[in-house]
Amino acid sequence: MIGDMTDMRTAYGKALVELGEQNPNIVVLGADTTDSLKTADFGKKFPNRFFNVGIAEANLVSVAAGLAISGKTAFASTYAIFLPGRCVDQIRNAIAYPSPGDKKGLNVKLVVSHGGISVGADGGSHQQVEDIAIMRVIPNMTVLIPADTVAVSKLTWIISQRYGPHYMRLTRSASPVVHQDSQEFEIGKGITLREGADCTLAACGLTVKMALDAAGSLKQEGISCKVIDMFSIKPIDSELLEKSARETGCIVTCEEHNIVGGFGSAISEVVSELYPVPIKRIGVNDRFGESARDAEIPLLLEKHGITSLNIAKAAKEIIGKKK
Amino acid sequence: MGLNYYQIKKNVRRARKLVIRATSNAGSGHPGGSFSMAEIMGCIFFKYLKYDPKNPNWEGRDKLVLSKGHASPGLFSNMALAGYFDPSELDTLRKFGSRLQGHPDLKCPGVEFCGGSLGIGLSFSVGSALAARIDGKPTRIFTVMGDGETDEGQVWEAAMTGAKYKVDNLTAILDRNFIQQDSYTEKIMPLDEELVGDDLSEMWKDASRWKTGDKWRSFGWNVIDIDGHRIEQLDHAIKKATQTKGVPSIIIARTIKGKGVEHMEDNPKWHGQAPKKEFVPIIDMEIDSQAMIAPSIIAGDMTNLENEVKRCTNGRADYIHLDVMDGMFVPSKTFDHNKIRELRPLTVIPFDTHLMINEPVKYVKDYVDAGSDIVTVHAEVCDASSFGQIHDTLKANQVGVGLAINPDTNLPEWAIPFIPKLDQIIVMSVVPGKSGQKYIESTHEKTQRLVSMLNQNGFDGYIEADGGVTLDNIGSCFADGARAFVGGSAIIGQQDVRGIIREFRNKIAYARRRGLIQKAHELGGNELVAKWIDLHTIGEKRNHLTAIARELGFA
Repeated sequence: MIGDMTDMRTAYGKALVELGEQNPNIVVLGADTTDSLKTADFGKKFPNRFFNVGIAEANLVSVAAGLAISGKTAFASTYAIFLPGRCVDQIRNAIAYPSPGDKKGLNVKLVVSHGGISVGADGGSHQQVEDIAIMRVIPNMTVLIPADTVAVSKLTWIISQRYGPHYMRLTRSASPVVHQDSQEFEIGKGITLREGADCTLAACGLTVKMALDAAGSLKQEGISCKVIDMFSIKPIDSELLEKSARETGCIVTCEEHNIVGGFGSAISEVVSELYPVPIKRIGVNDRFGESARDAEIPLLLEKHGITSLNIAKAAKEIIGKKK
Repeated sequence: MGLNYYQIKKNVRRARKLVIRATSNAGSGHPGGSFSMAEIMGCIFFKYLKYDPKNPNWEGRDKLVLSKGHASPGLFSNMALAGYFDPSELDTLRKFGSRLQGHPDLKCPGVEFCGGSLGIGLSFSVGSALAARIDGKPTRIFTVMGDGETDEGQVWEAAMTGAKYKVDNLTAILDRNFIQQDSYTEKIMPLDEELVGDDLSEMWKDASRWKTGDKWRSFGWNVIDIDGHRIEQLDHAIKKATQTKGVPSIIIARTIKGKGVEHMEDNPKWHGQAPKKEFVPIIDMEIDSQAMIAPSIIAGDMTNLENEVKRCTNGRADYIHLDVMDGMFVPSKTFDHNKIRELRPLTVIPFDTHLMINEPVKYVKDYVDAGSDIVTVHAEVCDASSFGQIHDTLKANQVGVGLAINPDTNLPEWAIPFIPKLDQIIVMSVVPGKSGQKYIESTHEKTQRLVSMLNQNGFDGYIEADGGVTLDNIGSCFADGARAFVGGSAIIGQQDVRGIIREFRNKIAYARRRGLIQKAHELGGNELVAKWIDLHTIGEKRNHLTAIARELGFA
């Protein structure tokens, strides 16, 4: 139900078990975080297709590559900080680069949890705010950041069907549902959640709900905002971005990631080439996060300006800059 | 089933030459690490690996993962010989538009792993081994790693994972050449112990100082330590590794970086540098001039041949020469296949069986079954038909095919069509029948004539000098073109077999160096001779070469 708080890792773990039942080629790998990632359930059900390689992420990625080149669809999961943050060499050279025949890269799905600063209590060392930047510059890599459990369940299934290296980032804490159960997802296509004429709010992950809230409050002030869930960061929906720029004349991008090289940068690259309009990037402003207990996570997000209030403020500001 | 010694040996030789051709053409590349693993790759490709070059994605194939990807010329050269592509394609190595990238790449069908970033291959291999297990396939994974590569922590992550999941369908081979890019491994990051000074050879020889195997053993692996340039040791180790169940195996193959080309050997400079084109013909000649020492045990204590075999093994002989005499073809009688069968378990060194018997075609299979790796029969007691049968029997059993001629016979007409198929020709330089005779001087001229005739007829094997070979004449026998040398009383008759074999090798080294200097002079006069000498910077080689050049009047 829209608005319910649900857990992305639970949705992922459940989707994997279902996939495992349908497809004997699915294998799952973990690195001592399998309880946390909820992949352990797959392991209980399919012990011969489940490999916990210990606290050895470089090895995790490369063992997955070996399984994938032998015909398996390999899901490798741990926390974001330990995959893109630690293994860019193995991700690049063992998964994205090797291209058998006319295929591009190997069939490995890197699904991580604990993306962004909403990790909270573990602190800045564990808050990955660089993964979009790292992953999207690697050729052959698909990069996804789902907004809710509806997206997680459906995208897990979709990427299992789609050949090639995929990166999908989940949020640690419970997330509000923003999509109807019937929502369809297509890699490379954004989802318009709300139409509007004055400004486009482009978001991914937990900022989608914030953008929707911001659009709701701006409506009260007579400002009409379009909200798009750009869960597919690579490939990105250039068509929707161009159309939105044309229709609304300005864009606010919202991400739980460094605004340098991240989601806002990706959108700016496309819009500046296809239909340049003023853009304001909301996100972590080139610094690291810090600890915050669950109840304090809103305060941490607020410190970095990642709130619906700040998105609304940015929208008003950017609307004023339209030509 | 024999060792397939000659097929491996010849392909290793060809592969080394292709590496030289490819890297000198490319102007860069890694010959040193390609040469240290040359025998390793030869044994894998031409004995153990299952593959179909016409169908590189064949489901039933084994997989070779070259984790030390910088040695790609060493992989590509073997792939060319195996039939994946024409050897001429090696001329495109490292060039724009080529399938033969600087590091192995899936762009080239048959390559199983994109190597290059070190430390990844073993994890990748564990994954491939696990996939084969899930699918219930008999796939075997062979993973070749560099020793410097194991500085990478990920290798040890993979080691633990391999042991945890008991991937006994994986055989890792460590090319332990003691050199990495900057310098000796034991200086940069010791795997055994820190090297003080520069004398690598002492380290290599002193087994009490090797600790690399202990590391792997403590990680739960089956460890097999060998000399990685000895085909028979590699063969034995791979066989043992593939038969070991419940744990993964690693073969620690002690090797010499740049092996086969003296100026590259043990020299860190040749880790990642290509030879200049002007030296290629000289280097090719050097690669073609490897020599083997084959002590003949009948020159020893006939009542205790077991002990003679042990002395040959300890003496590091290349072959053990077994003279079988039947009392008919020659007046004396020695032993037959039953004795060979008894001796076989004592050593893995190839048995070079020389049948001085009548009607060899009747008995050749007995000698194959007894464990011979090379069988040589006499031309005097064969004809085209019987030798054809002998040839087919030997080839079908991966045993080397040899033909011998007595001092008073020449290679008969019927043998000419067989020349390209022969692995060995024994030129007797004494009348066969007993040991301790003196070398017949006219054999020098006979061998030289034979070599030129053989070359015209596509010979690709080795000439073995047999009879009266001593320290005094081995150099001239080598210069004649002989590449294997039977030593009777001159070796087995001596107290210190190991010492005398070393002296034989020194004499051969001198003759080889002399030949190479003559070649350099022929190609580019004193100037090229000087340049050739300049390449030799490690050890005593340089002084020795300078002395030879002076002696020849080229300096």
